[in-house]
Amino acid sequence: MSETELPEDDRALAGEYVLGLMSQDEAAAFAARMRREQALAALVVAWQEDFAQLTDEVDEVAPPSRVWRKLDRRLFAGTRGPRWLLAGIPGVLAAALALVLLLVPLPDGGVRPPSDPVYHADLASEGGELILAAGYDAETGELYVEPRRAPEPGTDHELWLIAGNNAPVSMGVLPADAPARLSVDPTLADQLAGGTLAVSVEPVGGSPTGAPTGPVIATGAVETL
Amino acid sequence: MATREEIDGWIARCALGDRGAFQSLYDHTSAKLFGVTLRVLKDRSEAEDALQDIYVKVWRNAKRYSSGGASPMTWLITIARNHAIDRLRARRDTEGDDAIAAMPDRAPGPEARAVAASEARRVEECFDTLEPDRAQAVRRAYLDGETYADLARHFEVPLNTMRTWLRRSLIKLKECLEP
Repeated sequence: MSETELPEDDRALAGEYVLGLMSQDEAAAFAARMRREQALAALVVAWQEDFAQLTDEVDEVAPPSRVWRKLDRRLFAGTRGPRWLLAGIPGVLAAALALVLLLVPLPDGGVRPPSDPVYHADLASEGGELILAAGYDAETGELYVEPRRAPEPGTDHELWLIAGNNAPVSMGVLPADAPARLSVDPTLADQLAGGTLAVSVEPVGGSPTGAPTGPVIATGAVETL
Repeated sequence: MATREEIDGWIARCALGDRGAFQSLYDHTSAKLFGVTLRVLKDRSEAEDALQDIYVKVWRNAKRYSSGGASPMTWLITIARNHAIDRLRARRDTEGDDAIAAMPDRAPGPEARAVAASEARRVEECFDTLEPDRAQAVRRAYLDGETYADLARHFEVPLNTMRTWLRRSLIKLKECLEP
């Protein structure tokens, strides 16, 4: 084989196909062959496995929580509640059951995000890492919080509301790694709109002074939905 | 990071319409797929839209999963990467190449990576048997979605030469990976 001759080798073709380097016509012809020849399909899968390892060098980036909210709405809008549990149950009974299911906690006992939050905030570090997602449930007067980073041992994370030029007001110590609902004083709830939420590192149990004492590791503006 | 068995299980339950499993799958894999999508698209808001589309595909195609034979993370990564590249190419068709060429690569960060280390090491070792710019060409094609035209321009060689290089690199890689 000369230096410039293009090798026609199925291993190379399968690699080109997986990389997306073929023209549309070439790719279509290759795909047609692949449906007939199992060995070719196996080569493609092997390349997919190999190349996928290259993504180990790509940093993981937590997407903002609005992506999940939009996705959830897009796929499941109008079908709230765990409907798959009802498959196979006749209509009227299913509807009655669905109502019940909506009103009782899910079997896993987990804390549920508000179904219709009025305010939302994504609290991110300076580097852009999402540290906490928060949503305010006006029906219950609770702030739902979903921590994405656990505090270092021997510390707690505390959540603060900064409204305008006011001093930060504590909204409570955050759970380490599970979602929770923090009840919000009604006067504080009124100040959420247009405010900023911040997370600081504090001694276990929270700030002893009533003001943030440790470094602020994340901030986020409160968005009205 | 979730185990292969857990991810397998979530995908299988997605195929049955279990939304709780879908949420678990999203919670445990979306940072990985968002990283991959951002790497290709290099634009945060477009990557967010792409990520939504990717998980819509995952939900709708979960039934077709096991038949493909790829591992679950490979299946997810392939869906994410291919969708991001489709978007990248559609964007280029409408606005020309320059905006993309000007955008910087995301530098790999310091965090310790990944569990499937021995597999990854093997792939890495085989990449190291290639000349550095040829290994880089394959990486750019996979991770950045570059075409033969992009690569030829980048490495300043004629397109046919690029293609010959790359095919030979692929054969050499495969011989190293599966001797």
